[in-house]
Amino acid sequence: MLNVKAFDEILSKIIKSESGIKKVILVDRTGLTIAHVSKFSYYPVDIDGIGAIASAVFCASEEQGKNLDIGELKIVTSEFDDGKIFAASCGKGVLCVITEADVNIGMVRLVIKKGSDKLQQILDEFLAEKPVAPTPTPETTKEMAEKEELEAALKELEKF
Amino acid sequence: MKRDASGRIHFKIVFWGASPSGKTTALKWVHENVEGYNKGGFTSVDDPNGLTLYFDYTTLTSESNVIFDLYTVAGQKRHKHQRNVVLKGTDGVIFVVDSSRNMMPDNKFSIEELRDNLGDRLVSNLPIVIMLNKRDAPDSITKKKLLSELGLDRYHTYETIATRGIGIKSAFTSLAREILAKNLQKIEDKQRKVL
Repeated sequence: MLNVKAFDEILSKIIKSESGIKKVILVDRTGLTIAHVSKFSYYPVDIDGIGAIASAVFCASEEQGKNLDIGELKIVTSEFDDGKIFAASCGKGVLCVITEADVNIGMVRLVIKKGSDKLQQILDEFLAEKPVAPTPTPETTKEMAEKEELEAALKELEKF
Repeated sequence: MKRDASGRIHFKIVFWGASPSGKTTALKWVHENVEGYNKGGFTSVDDPNGLTLYFDYTTLTSESNVIFDLYTVAGQKRHKHQRNVVLKGTDGVIFVVDSSRNMMPDNKFSIEELRDNLGDRLVSNLPIVIMLNKRDAPDSITKKKLLSELGLDRYHTYETIATRGIGIKSAFTSLAREILAKNLQKIEDKQRKVL
C-alpha cells in the first residue's frame, strides 16, 4: 500500500535544499492540491486556491504549446518583484515551488528536476484506481471508512 | 472522487454556462451563505471588467473530511481552452442557463460545447443539475421551451435568480447529494461483489 508520507518527505527535501524556497505544493492536473509544505510565514495564504491556479496556469501553458506545436512543456517560471513561482511537470501532477526573488534559479531548477522524477513514480501509484480484492483486505477496510465518511457528509448536507 | 495525501476525499463541481449567465454570482452566493460546511477562501481569476477570465474557485469542507472543490468557468466564447482545463476531472456539473430570450444562441453554444467535452460521460453517468437562471428577466423564456430547445428535459432542473439567491441552495444540494449518493452506491456495489 502506498505510503502517502512519501509526498511530504520529497516536498520537505525540496524546501530544505535551498534557503530561498518558501513553499512547495504538489497538485494534480484537475487543480487538486495533493500535498504541500511551507516555511513559517505571517502572511496567511489559501493553499488550495494557490494550488488550483498553479495547476490551471500550467495546463493552460501546456495547451498553448500544443496549439503552437512546440513540444512538451517542462517548466513555467513567473517572476514577480518580490518572488518567483516555478511550476514543473511531474507526470500526472504539477510541482509548484514558490521562492524569494533572489533565489539561485539554477539550483531550484535542479532540485525541481530531481523531485519531479521521484514524485512522478509515486503519483502514478497514488492516482491509479486499484481493483477490489475478492477477500477482505485493507482495501475493503478503506472502503468501509470511505462509506462512513460519505454517509456523514450526506447527513451534514441536510443542514446546509 | 479523489483523495489528497492527508486522506481527505475531494469532489470537483463545475458551474458551466454562457457569459454572463450568473455562474460567479451563484458560486459567490453558495460561498457567502453556506451553513453546516466549512468554507475556504474565494479565488477569482477575472478581467478588469469583473468577467471571469479563467475560473472562480472555493471549497466546502464537511466535518467528516469530505471536500467539495467548486469551480466556475469563463463563459465568453474565446476562453474555450481555459474551460477545457477547468472541466478536467469533474465529478458533477451545474449547467447555468440564462433565461433571457436573446441568450438562447449562447446557451445552445454552451451546452453543445459541454456535450463535446464530456462525450459519453454526459450521456451515461455524470451527475448534472440544470439552473434556469434569471427567471426574473422580463423576456425570460418558459421553462418547458428552454429545456426542450436545449435538450435538457431529463435532468433535475431548478428555476433560480442568483442575484437574490433564489433556488441556488436547492440546485447545489441536489447535485452534491447526487454525487455523494452515486459514490456510496459504487462502494456498496463493490462490497456486494466481495460478499
